[in-house]
Amino acid sequence: MLQLHSVTKRYGDLVALNDVSLELARGEFFGLLGPNGAGKSTTMSLIAGLRAADSGTLTLDGQPLTAANSASRLSLGLVPQHIALYPELNAVENLRIFGELYGLRGPDLRARIDAALEAVQLADRRKDPVKNFSGGMQRRLNLVAALLHRPKLLLCDEPTVGVDPQSRNAIFEYLEQLNREGLTIIYSTHYMEEATRLCSRIGIIDHGKLHALGTLDELLLTLPFEEEVRFHATPATGLLASQLGAYGELTTVDGTHRFRPRADFKFSKLYALAESLELPARLFASQRPTLEAVFLHLTGRSLRE
Amino acid sequence: MRPVFVLVRKDLTNFLRNKAAVSLTFAIPFAMIYLFGQIFGINQKDSGPSGIPIAVVNASTNIAAAKLVDALKSENSLRIITETGPKEKRRPLTESDLRPMMQAAGADFRFAIVIPEDVISDTRLGLHLKFLSNPRNEIETQTVNGLLQKTIFSNVPELLGASLQARAKNFLGDASLNTFNRGIANAIAGAFGGNIDEILARIENGNFGFDQLTKAATTPGSNTGTAGADQKSAMADVFSRIVRIDTEQVVGAKVKSPMATALVGGWAIQFLLFALSASATSLFRERDAGIFQRLLAAPVTRAQILWSKFVYGVLLGLVQLLVLFFAAGLLFGIEILPHLPLLALTCVFAAAACTSFGMLLAAVSSSPEAASGLATFTIMLMSAIGGAWFPISFMPQFIQQFSKLTLVYWSMEGFSAVLWANQGFVQLLPILSILGGIAVVVMSLAVWRFNRGKIFG
Ligand SMILES: Nc1ncnc2c1ncn2[C@@H]1O[C@H](COP(=O)(O)OP(=O)(O)OP(=O)(O)O)[C@@H](O)[C@H]1O
Ligand SMILES: [Mg+2]
Repeated sequence: MLQLHSVTKRYGDLVALNDVSLELARGEFFGLLGPNGAGKSTTMSLIAGLRAADSGTLTLDGQPLTAANSASRLSLGLVPQHIALYPELNAVENLRIFGELYGLRGPDLRARIDAALEAVQLADRRKDPVKNFSGGMQRRLNLVAALLHRPKLLLCDEPTVGVDPQSRNAIFEYLEQLNREGLTIIYSTHYMEEATRLCSRIGIIDHGKLHALGTLDELLLTLPFEEEVRFHATPATGLLASQLGAYGELTTVDGTHRFRPRADFKFSKLYALAESLELPARLFASQRPTLEAVFLHLTGRSLRE
Repeated sequence: MRPVFVLVRKDLTNFLRNKAAVSLTFAIPFAMIYLFGQIFGINQKDSGPSGIPIAVVNASTNIAAAKLVDALKSENSLRIITETGPKEKRRPLTESDLRPMMQAAGADFRFAIVIPEDVISDTRLGLHLKFLSNPRNEIETQTVNGLLQKTIFSNVPELLGASLQARAKNFLGDASLNTFNRGIANAIAGAFGGNIDEILARIENGNFGFDQLTKAATTPGSNTGTAGADQKSAMADVFSRIVRIDTEQVVGAKVKSPMATALVGGWAIQFLLFALSASATSLFRERDAGIFQRLLAAPVTRAQILWSKFVYGVLLGLVQLLVLFFAAGLLFGIEILPHLPLLALTCVFAAAACTSFGMLLAAVSSSPEAASGLATFTIMLMSAIGGAWFPISFMPQFIQQFSKLTLVYWSMEGFSAVLWANQGFVQLLPILSILGGIAVVVMSLAVWRFNRGKIFG
């Protein structure tokens, strides 16, 4: 459905996207995972035709995606990273403006607005000015404003920033429902939990480069280890940490040591080392690695950096 | 085209929700217009007893002088004060009362006329009147001067006749003047009929029939068809034409219009500029909020976004200017309805120039703060030198040269051309062309800057 071929985008000297290629099938829920400044929004804006790529091509159903191609815009919906609503106007007025810009009107538009407000539990606040909404409510309205014209492809740029867990869950469920009904979604985030929960396929992006692309399992398989051992960084565990470095990869994030052993490492060795240093076994937590570990492995830095 | 319509309607709704914007556009300029109207003493037409207060002291025993006082009293725009003192002991004002009373803070009147004993002297031709003023402002003084001239010239011509007689007596001597007058009386009686003694008595009183002439002049339809009446009305024409030259520029409701028109136009344009700059600056807010992303991701072009702002600005300006002119019409008696089509046209052109100015401000600025700082400075400057605050004739010649470079000046020129000089479309065309030219040039600059500036970057 969507194809990006060797896309590069520069802002002056800064290379915001560097030779990115990507192919999306209809009905996918695709996650774009990367930290601040990775190039997520830039990717979205190129697909939405807001900017032109410096090189490479983007097509939707074989049609080039350019600023001039207004037909393809009708099949796209963009949920901007910021709350892109008119704060003085109420929910219905906001939705009416965006619906009308897509050529909707009359009873059809009214029905779609009602349904959209119902879907994100804002029906009872329909006449309130958007500036009086909570952050989570604004996010939900920001989302449905991109859906009135029933796009085939939805671009969600970090749609849950500043949203409490409950609102976040409501947004997730709504997006999952839309995806089940056939909507193709590109979802950008810097939360690995969101990508893990929602996305059927994930692209890992940093510094404008798409480092890896695949399902969660495929990405985890790229790791040279299957399990990760974590323990708190204290003076007592310092010596152990330095010794473990010889058997695999050891990183320290937020006061926690993470040890990813090489494939041939035997865990009995870890416990033997701990015992010799008089460290109790309960200090150690072992878990399957997460996307966080994949990101760290690929880019050498943490998603939260 | 439809996106432009949707966005314009959005901007209008947004405007109405924003109380600060509404009051900046309508309430504040109206308050300024009202306030300055009071300061400049622009009163409503035929404001009756609440006219400009003038003290009148009549020290002359001449009957004509008493008539002058009556005539002044019958002038609607003046309120004549002839007495002073507490209620029970009212007494006529004297000349020595006037100066202290006029100098006092909160004086009841700032103008006074003294008709001295020697209102008519045999050594000078003309009337000797004293006019005392404490001119708070030039406009009011001119208004009073004009009203007095009109009253004196059109209502009490006998005073002039008496003055002629006194002068002739001094020149010819008593006996000769008698002979002269009798000769004229004879000639008149011979030509038109009538009693020689009666005619002579009237001539000696200085009554040359000027009063008849002015009556005939004010009611030209009352021509009786006799030879004498024809002649009278011909002379009346001459006489009233002389008078009219004096009165037309300075007298009555008309003198209020240019000032009131300038006042309304100036303040309205100034605040329209503020409102439109704020609206153009809102482009920054919409950009930062990502609204442009949302609009441009929809089938909306950059050009349509800019056009919608322009159309909105012109509409808002048209409505604001017309509302303020109508309000001022009620306040100051400016006639709006007969001029409505041309006034509306001028408003559209002025609003277009103002809108493009706001757009250019937003286009050359890097942030909304920079834009509003620049807006405040340039709008105040343009308003001041463009004549929105004071008539530009009050300003030094050096500054007046720059007035014509401002759209404030040309907007105000347009308004006074329509409302005051009563000009037609063709005469208005040069001003409209200038305003339209400003709009086109400035808007083109703005669009050019927008395309390479930060708003869509
Ligand atoms: N309009 C612009 N002009 C110049 N540089 C820009 C512009 N937009 C983005 N950049 C730069 O391009 C890089 C990618 O930015 P982008 O907004 O795509 O990142 P992102 O992944 O969306 O980050 P975030 O999570 O913070 O939203 C960043 O280094 C950013 O500073
Ligand atoms: Mg972003």
